Amino acid sequence: MTPEILHTISYEERLGYLRAKKEAQTREKLRRLGYMDEDDYGLVLPPEDFSWRPKPNHTNGSFYGISGWSKNFCDLLENHPVYVDPMDALAGRYMFLLNRMRSPVWPPELDYSHLKPEQEQYGIIHGIGNDQHLAPDLAIGLSLGWGGLLEKVRHCRNQHGPDKEEFFQAEEDTILAIQNWIRRTVNAIEEAEATETDPMLCENLREMAQVNRWLIEGAPRTFREACQWLAWFSMASRTYNRDGAGGQLDELLRPYYERDLRDGRIDDETTVFILACLLLIDTRYYQIGGPDAEGSDQTSRLSFLILEAAHRLKTTCNLTIRVHDGLDPELMRKGVEYLLEDRKACPRFSGDKALVEGFMRNGYSAAIARRRIAVGCNWMGVPGVEYTMNDTVKINVAKVFEVAFEEMMETTGVSPNIDELWRRFEDHLRKAVLCTARGIDFHLDHQHLNEPELVLNLFCHGPIERGLNVTNGGVDMYNMCIDGAGLATAADSFAALEQRIEKEQVITWRQIAEHLRNNYEGPDGRRVRLMMNTAEHYGQGDSLGDLWAVKISRLLTSLVKASPTPGGRNMIPGWFSWANTLALGKQVGATPDGRLAAEPISHGANPRPGFREDGAATAMVKAIAAIQPGYGNTAPIQLELDPGVGKGEEAVNNICSLIKTHVDLGGTLFNINIVDAQQVLAAHRDPSKFPNLVVRVTGFTAYFANLSPDFRQLIVDRIVREGNAVA
Amino acid sequence: MQTADPNANKARHDPLEKVPVAQEPEMTEGVITHIQRFSVHDGPGIRTTVFLKGCQMRCAWCHNPETLRRAAELQVFAELCIGCGACVERCRRQAHEVVDDSRVFHRDRCVGCGRCAQTCYAKALVLVGETRTADEVAQELFVDREFYESSGGGVTISGGEPLMQPEFTRAILALCKRNGIHTALETNFAREWSFIEPLLTLVDLFCVDIKLLDDVEHKKWTGISNRQTLDNLRRLDTARKPVIVRTPVIAGLNDRPEQIHAIVDWLGSLFNVIRYELLPYHPLGAGKYLALGHNQPPQWFKAPAPHIFEQLTQIASLQRKP
Repeated sequence: MTPEILHTISYEERLGYLRAKKEAQTREKLRRLGYMDEDDYGLVLPPEDFSWRPKPNHTNGSFYGISGWSKNFCDLLENHPVYVDPMDALAGRYMFLLNRMRSPVWPPELDYSHLKPEQEQYGIIHGIGNDQHLAPDLAIGLSLGWGGLLEKVRHCRNQHGPDKEEFFQAEEDTILAIQNWIRRTVNAIEEAEATETDPMLCENLREMAQVNRWLIEGAPRTFREACQWLAWFSMASRTYNRDGAGGQLDELLRPYYERDLRDGRIDDETTVFILACLLLIDTRYYQIGGPDAEGSDQTSRLSFLILEAAHRLKTTCNLTIRVHDGLDPELMRKGVEYLLEDRKACPRFSGDKALVEGFMRNGYSAAIARRRIAVGCNWMGVPGVEYTMNDTVKINVAKVFEVAFEEMMETTGVSPNIDELWRRFEDHLRKAVLCTARGIDFHLDHQHLNEPELVLNLFCHGPIERGLNVTNGGVDMYNMCIDGAGLATAADSFAALEQRIEKEQVITWRQIAEHLRNNYEGPDGRRVRLMMNTAEHYGQGDSLGDLWAVKISRLLTSLVKASPTPGGRNMIPGWFSWANTLALGKQVGATPDGRLAAEPISHGANPRPGFREDGAATAMVKAIAAIQPGYGNTAPIQLELDPGVGKGEEAVNNICSLIKTHVDLGGTLFNINIVDAQQVLAAHRDPSKFPNLVVRVTGFTAYFANLSPDFRQLIVDRIVREGNAVA
Repeated sequence: MQTADPNANKARHDPLEKVPVAQEPEMTEGVITHIQRFSVHDGPGIRTTVFLKGCQMRCAWCHNPETLRRAAELQVFAELCIGCGACVERCRRQAHEVVDDSRVFHRDRCVGCGRCAQTCYAKALVLVGETRTADEVAQELFVDREFYESSGGGVTISGGEPLMQPEFTRAILALCKRNGIHTALETNFAREWSFIEPLLTLVDLFCVDIKLLDDVEHKKWTGISNRQTLDNLRRLDTARKPVIVRTPVIAGLNDRPEQIHAIVDWLGSLFNVIRYELLPYHPLGAGKYLALGHNQPPQWFKAPAPHIFEQLTQIASLQRKP
């Protein structure tokens, strides 16, 4: 329905309308779906009377394999409600995540029960059956269009024998389904155009129909067509399996922008509006700025316009500026300026130097390492040629610590001491890494039978040419991720034991073990818990906790890099917990850092909240720089700053300094929330009063009101105890 | 294949290795309350501020009462006490007692040794005031030097009143200058010029408070005259040392436009004033007063109303730039 409008509506008014509509859609999601402890994704709900369910092809009620996915995806797109808004520059919204509509996610006959005991023992998120999490090369799609992609699939199909028929048929059907979705949307646009009374909106719909009609077959020619093509990719790929990886957005779109500008088809205001519409459709991760393969800065006028679009949109966006020595300093300053002004935790900043040098340690050239760009929560990927399982595989080192501690205390004849505990921790972490590596191999060997990447295969160099799924030899590079989680919990536990038992001798091993068993309840429990909690901890600077954190990170790194998986795949270590801190915490009893049983483990690579009384950002920046594993995967810093950090040039200068220094010291990814602690507290009490409050939870941003109370509490703890301490 | 620059990490300090001490330590001792890293309101750029203990003024509104006396003092936050009784065992002077299940603190017996605070994990007992050598302080101040370099920041010495510990202040400043670190001194300037002159080559930026221009009022609210402060500001001008002048603005006390106008006019005769800043009062100190066993400050000290502060800021901005 067209809103009541003036004859000429400015882009600002149109964006205001679209933003308000998104906020209403977000409230609707909360009402109908309940809390979402994850990214907003840009997903829109279907009409309440619309219903679609996938058709199982397995007796357990789930669906698997090429035909299971192909048939359900095609059927979903065939029935997917179409979405047109005359105020929007781009057509379409997506309404489903197909991979969330089946259970169980793994076919029972592909049995990995032999891995489960150790996976459970060490709190391993094994990643078996997890999907996407690879970087597509969107240039493939932009250059070929859906019609060109179809031709490519048919051409390659002819090169292969009948054993690949099912695979190629499914890839063809995938493209045909997407084309049909666009075709049905074109019809809806034309219907809307026929009833639209406002001449300007009518003209907008006419152009929108023209753009989309062309895109059914053709490769995009103009900036608007290119953005609409990216929107269709985003919607299709999200619908298939929640894939959120973007690309180097400024470079992908620059040729279209420059050509349209030269030919007088576009101006910067229109460019910004179209970009804002693209960012509104999906919270996809895009990188801007940074070096090209030869090391020259890629910052262009369009990089600034993309930032400007996110600034004007003021919703959840995931843009990352790649900080390297040659970066246009104005792009960084502009990014920080908008970060401070908008308070939407956007953009983020990645550290090129450590990422490139680190990735090269895996045996790759600088040119390839520079192409490994930020396209996920915490992760990088080389578009179209690398498969990683990034952010899907984690070891809970707090749990590993617990296993080592309990074993030491229960072994008769062993006199507990910190060296013995470390030796056992090392031993169990080695086992955990090996078990995780076996899980990675198992996933790679079988995932194509479970869930083929029918959409993302199209945007990689190899799967279509070889007739192989991306998980199964379709691409050339397999660099498998292993992230540690709970670093501060483990490091602070080691530090507290060393300080209170061995250095100060104010408690014994047996006593602390008893207190842990009792969850610090009972006589003297409260005092002992405070005593352990106030020992030196990670993030304070040159503390015992800092030393243990470095030691643990180096151990994880050396164990992961000691050898490839048994199947011969390279692994890369990082530190990241995503939104799993609550769930991973529930696996672990009370710990010697004063943490109670089942409380969340520490967040990612961060020190625990309240790590220093002054909350010094510089201390956190240095602590997290010191624990980087250094092989090209990230250990992000999540910094909470109060708006009291200042405004104007000086504040921009200071935050740029924090980022640059972190990057110079080896930092890999920098996330910043600028949030008023009092506002967050008020929003925690009554989220409905703050429907627009956006926070970066971990790698992703979310509407605060849509987070569950437990999750909001995590954010509140971080922001109130760190951000508020800023001088 | 290209390889990474082998020198890229050369300057990085390995956190698991001890750093050798490079030079003879500066042993001049002083008393500090605390050191604050990532200090962004005490001079340009990212700074670390060291707060020295002891002040000769007794500003009625002071929200940092723990900085007034030079000697170490015990802060008692009774609401945090968990009643473990460790303080009673630790104290050699029976300053802590448990009477009828309640902890009682006899401040008159306390010598500020801090033994009780060391084992008060609930942080109900916090010793404020730590004697450190200038070298120890400097080592902590140097930790963030990368940030000073990239932000144009440095070290700020504040208080309390740093000029009440002039040798200690000089020693810290000298160590900073020797290491090429920008220095700022936050001071009320109410000491003889002879204490300031030796610091002129060591301080890059002075930040001086003028609380009130009217000396009768100044004496009434701070306990001492402002003549020395104003005299020193003139001398600093003659010495061509840059200064930021600041006024903490307290509602009903110095928030009348004519009071700020008077300071602006007075500053008009100086050439070295980079900026005149107004700082809105933050009434933070009541809990600290109680923790130190003082009477609570009068409750009527409040921040100026936002519209009044805005008006005063406009007046302050009339101070010409150099």
